[in-house]
Amino acid sequence: MSRERKYAMIIDTQRCVGCSACVYACKSENNVPEGFCRDWVVSITEGRYPNLTLTNRSERCQHCEDAPCVSNCPTAASHYAGDGTVQIDRDLCTGCKACIAACPYDARYIHPGGFADKCSFCNHRIQAGMTSTACTQVCPTGTLNLVDLNSNDGKAEALLKGRQVKQDKTHAGTKPKLFWLV
Amino acid sequence: MTEIVSNKLNPDVLPHLAIWNWEVPVYLFLGGLAAGLLVISSMSLILRQRSNSKPTVKRAALLAPIALSAGMFFLFLDLAFKLHVWRFYTAFVWTSPMSWGSWMLVVFYPFSILQAAILYKEELRAKFGGLAFLDQAETQLSKIAVVNAHIGVGVGVYTGILLATFYARPLWSNAVLGLLFLLSGLSAAAALMLWMAPQTEKRIYSRLDMYLLSLEGFALTVFVIGGLTGDANRAQAMWSFLTGHYAPWFWSITIVGGLLLPLVLETMETLGKSKFSFFVPLLVLIGSLSLRFILVFAGQSMPTFS
Repeated sequence: MSRERKYAMIIDTQRCVGCSACVYACKSENNVPEGFCRDWVVSITEGRYPNLTLTNRSERCQHCEDAPCVSNCPTAASHYAGDGTVQIDRDLCTGCKACIAACPYDARYIHPGGFADKCSFCNHRIQAGMTSTACTQVCPTGTLNLVDLNSNDGKAEALLKGRQVKQDKTHAGTKPKLFWLV
Repeated sequence: MTEIVSNKLNPDVLPHLAIWNWEVPVYLFLGGLAAGLLVISSMSLILRQRSNSKPTVKRAALLAPIALSAGMFFLFLDLAFKLHVWRFYTAFVWTSPMSWGSWMLVVFYPFSILQAAILYKEELRAKFGGLAFLDQAETQLSKIAVVNAHIGVGVGVYTGILLATFYARPLWSNAVLGLLFLLSGLSAAAALMLWMAPQTEKRIYSRLDMYLLSLEGFALTVFVIGGLTGDANRAQAMWSFLTGHYAPWFWSITIVGGLLLPLVLETMETLGKSKFSFFVPLLVLIGSLSLRFILVFAGQSMPTFS
């Protein structure tokens, strides 16, 4: 019996230069229509001149373990794929937009084709046996890492070791799976 | 100081949510009205068998499925993928209020239409003849009405719970919304019945609507208190709702024009101190519709759960 995977993303904000290559790689890989995006970069400047700090953060769907988009979807179009990711079955989607209202991370949008759309952790690549997404592969500074939390390859542990980890809106109770190293 | 720059683009999600336009509030209003009409007509049938023949109850029973169909039409208009509308009926997701709502409609139609058909038995028979099964069904009318009253309450509450389960939207994330929309739907239905009722029956519906409006005012107060005493996120959302962009409309059209003024006028009508006017139910209906519009729009314009 094969082991159940649990994909997550570990994002090292200390390495990120905010080049947005992840955003353009995603648009190209997933045919994201013009004017929309599945991932994006947030730049946060804090402090008082001249003592300023800048943090760049690549963001996308959190592939929550307890996802409100899944529980609010009336047709089961939004579902857990069994590998730790949340996916959308376009054949089932009515475009009712309940998932968009339900997402505390505003990660979704309505595709001009009428269905809800968002980051899939490049599901088609994972299915094909690849171990990277378009964004993790293109990232020039090694900021983005797709990891399998159920794996014993030690990748996630090595990245997290000795680092402070930040997660977004954990008090929403959704158990998000993007881990930012700060 | 903190400056946040994002290159996120998605329209209708940023700068604030704008996924639901006029179609959804119109649907919520008509759904609530249909639920209210079904509850009030069914309750009249349960409590006073003789009122079977009363024209207002009959009309309300007939209007319930019609109003719901009109509402469903607007809901259909809102769907981004209209060809997939049938997908609501290939799944039942118990955690999704929208799924509950879709399946409740399957029960709403047969029972509400059967009730209306029983009440319009003679008219139907004159036109189509036969219909012996309606005589049989009529003997069970009070049982059918009990089922219908429950379905009506379910649909009425659902229209509010639909928004209340979205905890990512701090203004909607308030369980009282279910009760508030149910009472608002009931008072809209009572107002419509007051409008349709002959002079001899107007006092019944004016008094009923007076009680329902008072209860709606109570639920609205609890809704506001629930928001203001919630966490910082919810309190801020409620505060900007009461004082922000939508506040002038909320206070003038929903509260004063749609609730307080008709409440005073209906009290005077009930006491026999003023004449019945079509103006009063019209105010209640506009108030009920405006409540949906303002809550749907304001709830989307508030910052996301933080």
